[in-house]
Amino acid sequence: MKRRELLTGVKGKATFEPHIASPGVARFTNALLRTQENQEVRFYDDLIRGKQVVVNFMYAECHGACPMVTSTLIKAYQALKPRMGRDVFFYSITVKPETDTPEALKHYAKTRRADLPGWLFLTGDAYDIETIRFRLFGMYHPGFDLDSAMHAGTLRIINDATNCWTTVEAFASLKTILKHISWADPPKSYAERWAESIARQELINKEVKRYGYRRFA
Amino acid sequence: MPSKKAKHRKVVGKKKSDRTISRRDVLKIGAAAGAVTVLAPSMLTSRKAFASGDPAEPVICATAPANSPPTTPFRDTFTAPFPAIPQDLYPAPTKARNESGGEAERADHQRWDDFLPDIEYELEARASTHTFHSDYSPSYIWGFNGKYPAPTVLNIYEHPTIVRFRNNLPLTTTTFGRNEITIHLHNGHHGSESDGFAGDFFGTGFWKDNHYVNVYAGYDAIPPEGDAKEAMHSFWFHDHRAAFTANNNYLGLNGMFLVYDSKDPGHEFNTPGSLRLPCYYGITDFPLILTDKIFCATANGRTELFNAVGGAAPGGDKWIVNGKIQPKLTVRRRKYRFRILNTGPAKTYDLTLIKPDGSVGTMTVVATDANFLEHPIPVDAGANAGNSNSTTAPIVAGGLRVSVAERYDVIIDFAQFPHGSKVYLKENAPQFVGVASPVTLPTGLAIENVLMQFNVVNREPWFPADTPAIPSTLCTYPTLPATDNSFEWQFVRDPVGTVPRLFKINGLAFDAAVPVHSIVQGQTEEWLLNNNVGGSAWVHPVHIHFEEFRVLKRFVNGVEVPVPPLMTGRKDVMRLEAGQGALIKMQFRDFLGRYLIHCHNMNHEDAFMMVRWDIVPDALALRESQQLMLAHRREEEERLAEVAREERRLRKEEVS
Ligand SMILES: [Cu+2]
Repeated sequence: MKRRELLTGVKGKATFEPHIASPGVARFTNALLRTQENQEVRFYDDLIRGKQVVVNFMYAECHGACPMVTSTLIKAYQALKPRMGRDVFFYSITVKPETDTPEALKHYAKTRRADLPGWLFLTGDAYDIETIRFRLFGMYHPGFDLDSAMHAGTLRIINDATNCWTTVEAFASLKTILKHISWADPPKSYAERWAESIARQELINKEVKRYGYRRFA
Repeated sequence: MPSKKAKHRKVVGKKKSDRTISRRDVLKIGAAAGAVTVLAPSMLTSRKAFASGDPAEPVICATAPANSPPTTPFRDTFTAPFPAIPQDLYPAPTKARNESGGEAERADHQRWDDFLPDIEYELEARASTHTFHSDYSPSYIWGFNGKYPAPTVLNIYEHPTIVRFRNNLPLTTTTFGRNEITIHLHNGHHGSESDGFAGDFFGTGFWKDNHYVNVYAGYDAIPPEGDAKEAMHSFWFHDHRAAFTANNNYLGLNGMFLVYDSKDPGHEFNTPGSLRLPCYYGITDFPLILTDKIFCATANGRTELFNAVGGAAPGGDKWIVNGKIQPKLTVRRRKYRFRILNTGPAKTYDLTLIKPDGSVGTMTVVATDANFLEHPIPVDAGANAGNSNSTTAPIVAGGLRVSVAERYDVIIDFAQFPHGSKVYLKENAPQFVGVASPVTLPTGLAIENVLMQFNVVNREPWFPADTPAIPSTLCTYPTLPATDNSFEWQFVRDPVGTVPRLFKINGLAFDAAVPVHSIVQGQTEEWLLNNNVGGSAWVHPVHIHFEEFRVLKRFVNGVEVPVPPLMTGRKDVMRLEAGQGALIKMQFRDFLGRYLIHCHNMNHEDAFMMVRWDIVPDALALRESQQLMLAHRREEEERLAEVAREERRLRKEEVS
């Protein structure tokens, strides 16, 4: 990736202003992280503010869930390509910053074909990363929160411009993942939602006609 | 159509043939001219997008307060929510979706002609304010018709109903609520298009008609009104939006829904078949709608519900009954009925009646989850202390344990207390109060444990006289047919060492598009609900939509234990503590489509512990459905395998 692309993608002006109720730095922290390009970024100001993001936790040597999640994210990336790096961003944050240097993450991203504009692999101070993990994924339950493996299979979806947070299981089907990401999209006009509703109704009618009841529509 | 149904049509529902051409028909004509897509949105945008009287969005506290602001105990009076008022809907309800009228997408109402709607309501979800305590400012809420709790729908069996749920929630909000809704009537027996399926949510500006047929289950087998032994009375309705159910319910989108019949007629006169239980709504028969919330004094001097995006719904430090914190109720020296409902989002209540001398009083349970028990079960600390509904030791001797979404109808006889007595309902877990009790409490009772206060007074001559003794037999249960099929549902949080470690059912997270199990209509199944997988350490109050079940067996860590008395009745929520299981039996009659089984801890439910099951018309459809499920699973497995292969290849490359 060209450095310029990365800069416009990451440090470019946020597409939208933060929502009035955005918890901002108080929740997200403004921790200093490093990208796979060894570029310094501030977590809230540069990565979250006014953007729609999908965040997951991983580490390069993870043989279990991480490759699966990365592979799913690549597919989601392709589907969201026109928006990637403009108003939608993917952030994969390592839970093992002591071994995952920017170079190690760059290598991981490259070999998995995930070194794409609008998708950052991030490392930083272990304490900061733990804090971010708690703030983004915390269930306020020690059984969940003290176990760093706990959130490896969950994608956190946040739109700071609409203050919408949601989540999806990273092992879910691509269709489900894209649907959940869309739940954080900027609000649609009534006309747009009306058109979607008509399209869904057509699917429902088709199924009911064929099977006598609704199946997958 | 068989003649019995044709005949039945006269009994159930009014004919709408007297209605002249409906607005929908007019619009259809427009559609025929190709005008609909142009006409409809403009028509709808001209309607106000949301109520002009919407309150300002609240200033939400950034971080959770240490505790809610203090409240004076017993300052507010406990009341029943107002009944919803029937009305003539316009445009008139239709079998098919009224697209041009602005209805959200749905399949046609099933069995519309069998159950033509007789009574119509409109409940509009919108932003509003509610005063939870007179020491507080009004707080920003989302409520049906702007009310928390929602207006109570009072219905009668054999009168099919349409409730038009209109979504006028704000387009953007500072709360963690989601302005898309799908309303479930828990636990109604009706078509899946009216069941508030979690994936069928609709956004601001749309509305949807839910068709509640108000007949007993078994309608096809026992016309004209179904099997009266299947009678249910205390329902509730609430938002079921996938992944946001806890949030939207915390903000207030739920209410009570009662259906009366000859046994439970909504009055106390000596009419044929009546059990003559306390039954005057809001006078001698009260819903007791429980929830817990935490409040925060905001920068602009108001008291708002604390809620923060991106977390589970917060656990409260204020116990709220019918929308009020620690309220009082004046009761006459006679029997009263309380329909206890726990609306969550997550807390369990252990309730005890405390007499003026500090000892435990008796509450007589007459119904569990909307179904009368065959015989009433008294709950107290004395001879009946064993009547717990937990297979582990009860937390409080004599306590009534109420999990999220469970309903318990209890009778309390206040005639035993002299005029001027104060009786208390105690919750075992303390709340934050912050103000001393204005009255001396019974020995051993702390103000933090008081849910509400009853002030007992002599009955005035005009007040309804006491009802007769509670009958020793309330009903007889239907005989369940032979089992056609068995299925196991495992409620698991993936164990340590595996990922992703979410709350799941049978290893699956909620997916609106795929059923996990299918049943041929009319069959009877035994389901094992199992919370004994992977060393579970969690409590899951499991809810099954559509019909009531019976508990055949209970297990603790795989060993069969007796079914506790309060679980011997018909139910629709099964509390499973860690290591517990239950074998239940249930029928699937009269309707088709998609329904849900899920944990009713709404935070677990939103963290994916919910799956879809289907009722299909016949064996052929069942085979097709199973093949589709298999194909879907195979596809997923192949996807996983492919990535694993690719990863192995990459690792090998790196090593070499
Ligand atoms: Cu649960």
